[in-house]
Formats: sequence, C-alpha cells, structure tokens
Amino acid sequence: MRLIDYLRDRIPPIIIGIVSYALVFIFMTAYRFSGESIAVISLILLLGVFSAGLWDFLRKRSYYNKLMLYSEELDKKYLLAETLDQPDFLDGKLFYEALRLGNSSMCEHVSEYCRENKSFREYIEMWVHEIKLPVASLQLMCHNNGDHKYSEQLSRIDSYIESVLYYARSGSAEKDYIIKPVSLKRAFTDVAVRNREQLQELDISLSTDGLDTEVMTDGKWLGFILGQLMANSMKYGASEITVTAEVFPDRTELRFRDNGVGIPECDLPYIFEKSFTGINGRSRSKSTGMGLYIVHKLCRKLGHMISASSQQGEFTEMLITFGRNDLHDVR
Amino acid sequence: MKKILLIEDEVSIREELAVLLKNAGYEPVPVTDWEDVLGQMRSSCADLILLDINLPGLNGEALLQEFRRENSTPVIMLTSRTSEIDEVLSMSYGADDFVTKPYNPTILLLRISAVLKRSAGKTSSTQTYHDAQVSTVKGSISRNGCEQILTKNEMIIFQLLLDRQGEIVTRDDLMTALWDNDEFVNDNALSVNISRLRSKLADLGLEDAIETRKKQGYVLK
Repeated sequence: MRLIDYLRDRIPPIIIGIVSYALVFIFMTAYRFSGESIAVISLILLLGVFSAGLWDFLRKRSYYNKLMLYSEELDKKYLLAETLDQPDFLDGKLFYEALRLGNSSMCEHVSEYCRENKSFREYIEMWVHEIKLPVASLQLMCHNNGDHKYSEQLSRIDSYIESVLYYARSGSAEKDYIIKPVSLKRAFTDVAVRNREQLQELDISLSTDGLDTEVMTDGKWLGFILGQLMANSMKYGASEITVTAEVFPDRTELRFRDNGVGIPECDLPYIFEKSFTGINGRSRSKSTGMGLYIVHKLCRKLGHMISASSQQGEFTEMLITFGRNDLHDVR
Repeated sequence: MKKILLIEDEVSIREELAVLLKNAGYEPVPVTDWEDVLGQMRSSCADLILLDINLPGLNGEALLQEFRRENSTPVIMLTSRTSEIDEVLSMSYGADDFVTKPYNPTILLLRISAVLKRSAGKTSSTQTYHDAQVSTVKGSISRNGCEQILTKNEMIIFQLLLDRQGEIVTRDDLMTALWDNDEFVNDNALSVNISRLRSKLADLGLEDAIETRKKQGYVLK
C-alpha cells in the first residue's frame, strides 16, 4: 500500500477537512481572532488530523502489505483467510468475516463435488469388475466350445471396458498406482498376446529391440498405454510395428513405431487433446478422440513424457520417456 | 492326473474353468461350500490351487496368507481387479502366479503347467519322449546317441505338444505359447516351424511323431 494511493482514496474527507478548515478560518477572521490564536488553533487542528491519518495509514499498511504478500506467495490461494490474522479495524474485520464465510462455503461446495466424483469413480471401478465376470465366462465358453470368432469381439469389449476404467482413473486425484520395476518385454508381450488374433487378421508383423530392461512404472497402466498405441496402429493401416527401447544414464526411451498412414502435420500438435479426432479420425474410422488423451494423462500422472512424431504415409512414432530416479532404486 | 482345487465363486466361470481344466487333462475339484474354505484347501491334497481374490465374505489375499503358514501347495491367484497393488500383495503373500480376468484360456493353462513344473522341480531337468531325451536347457532332443538341436520356436512348440502328449493342441494354442515367449510369428512361420520340427524328429527316427488333425490341430503320439 503506497501513501499516494492511500491519499487518493481519502480525497473526499480531505476536501471536507479543507473546506471545514476554510470555514473555521473565515469564522475566526470574522470574529477578529488574533493572528497568534489563529496560528495555534490551526496548528493543533493540523497536527491532530495529520497524526490521526498517519496512524490509520500505518496500521492498514502493515495489514494489507501482509495480505498482498501472502496472496502472491501462497501456492493454494484459497487458504489465504486461514493464514491471516483477524484485522483490528472495522472495515477489515467485516471483509475478513465475509472472506472466511465465502471460503468455507466454497470448500463445502468443492468437497461435495469431490465426494460425488469419488463415488462415481468407485461405482465405475465396481462396475468394471462386475462386467468382467460375464466377459470372462464368455471367453472361457468360446474356448471350450471352439467358437473362436466370438473371442475377438470379446477382446474388443474388454478393451473398451479398460478404457472406461483408465479414464476414470486418469482424472482422479487419488494415487492408485504403484511404481515398481516393470519389465518392458513382459509388458509388451502381454499386450501383443492380448491382441494377437486381431494383429494376425490384419497381417501386422511385430518386432522388438532392446526391451530387456526394466523401467519404474505401474505395470497395469503401462499395459493399457501400450494397448492403446497398438490399437491405433491397427486402426490406421500399419503392417509393421517396431518397438525399441534405449537406456540412457538419466532415462529410458521407448519408441513405438508403425508404418501406417501417419498423422498430418497440422493435426500433430493436437493429438493428445480431448475429443480431437483429426483428419484420420474422421475419414478412416470412427474415432472418439479419447485414446491418446487418456494415454497422455496417465503418462503425466506416472511422471513419464510422451510425444509423437510422424511423416504422412510413412510412419508414426510415439516416444515415451521414463525418468530414472535413483530414489526408486532402493529395493 | 494332477488335481486342481478351484476356488471361484462366480458359478459360470467356475463351471467353464472346470471344463477347460478337464479338457486339458487335469482333475478339477471345484469348491462350492464357502464355509471353512481354508480347511478345504488344507485337506484337499491338490497339486495346485486356483484362488479367486474376491470371495463371498472372504478375502483371497488373507486366505492365502493364512494358508501359506503351513502349506506350500502352489497357488495361482485369479483376479478381476485391475490394480497392480493386488498383484504385488498376492505375490508377497506367497502366490506363485496370478491371472487377470477375463482370462486368456491358453495363457491360463500355460501358467498352470509352468507353476506345476516349477513346483515339481522339473524346470532344469530333462524330460523323456518315448526313448528320446528332451533337454529344455540345451534345447535339444537326443535318441540312440544322435542329437538334434531345436531352435527356440521349435522347442516351444515341442514342449507344448509334449506337455499334452496324446491330446489335440490347436494352432491357436501353439501361437499363443510362441507369442507369450516374445516370438511374434505368423501363420506361415508356424507351419514352417512345425515342418522343420517334423523333419528333425524324423532324422532321429521318430517319423510321424506329430500327427495333423484336420481343422483341429496337432497331436504328439
């Protein structure tokens, strides 16, 4: 709070003061007060007004400066009212009370949404586990009866179910993953086996290199991420998928490359955005624009980086970078 | 015949699993009484236990932990849960493996046979096929002093056929087993591998060891 701003804020009382003093001065001259008594009275008035103003300015300045400092430096600005003391001047007190009330009402509002969100998420998780039971029975029935044509459709159902589950997980603030060493080879092989029928139907060949390494991640989440990337390759005309890993001192890079239609350059910056379908998504197959969005969110939650590069008609390459944090290496 | 105790509360899955296991040459013993599951586990004398993680009024993990105090029968956890935490917990409580729902039936059978072999301590030893010695470590078959080296793919195929000797093994099963071992072969490659395996067996004097069943698969005689 600067003095000039404070004074500017006080212009009306200052004008009133000056006018009253002028009236008092006219009154005193009209009654022929001596020059000395006019001077003394003026001095007393001036000193009184000045010191009252100064006192008010100082106490407000110290309070509001603290307020400004806290509001700038606080990470969670809604906690402002909690960190400040109650001011000792009236207008401050009123504002402080109002701020606290508004704050606590907002907190309740937010926590209500959190509760709702959480219970919805729990319901989704439960539902996913329930729906997996009939899918599992059907899968076994198909195998026992030798009806293999159904099992591919069942895998599709299963992958849609997974996508719902991970969407719910990617949005929640809860930490429901577990970071531990995961073999890239195991993770990729599981995904390949799960998609084997469809891959063979589309005559897509797989090759891997350097996957004999471990990264710090959640195995289940990584499985979902790789599954989504593979689903995209299958959707967009790939005939070869190459997965390679390279270990650097500070990170491990996993490259998931296919020779499909590729992504147009104008679409490339937006592919991780929600509901973005792009030219390929609209023209080739029904795309929901959710797959890569969820993948991106999951990667961010796990602390991995994902980026894409592509040449239309040539290739698409997804690069996932796993950090190497030595803290995790304590086993 | 290996006895497998089947602890799964979802009726349709339990029944289908029982059929699957029976077809694969095991003797499934389904648990239907949810009182004293632990007692049934202990008194079953099974060679392997398939244990669902979610049981009525019971927690599969706690059950496993309790069971492990006295018994070392191999246990494979079946789980519909999709969280890594459950798997880590199950393993730390002494599960030998876990399979997630919906199961890939071939993978489930592969896991079962792997766990059974491991528990029998047969992993590194040699197996016999008629009068031939099969060494999984060396990847070779020898008979009457002659030895044939098999490639990794051929060994995987032969191993699966040998595990289910006398039964039909579908191309699909063989394919899944190969893929599960990071050999992402296609249909043609599988045919080539099988014919190479056949000629290697023939070189050892084991002609017509692998019989083709039209539209069904292969049988190792």
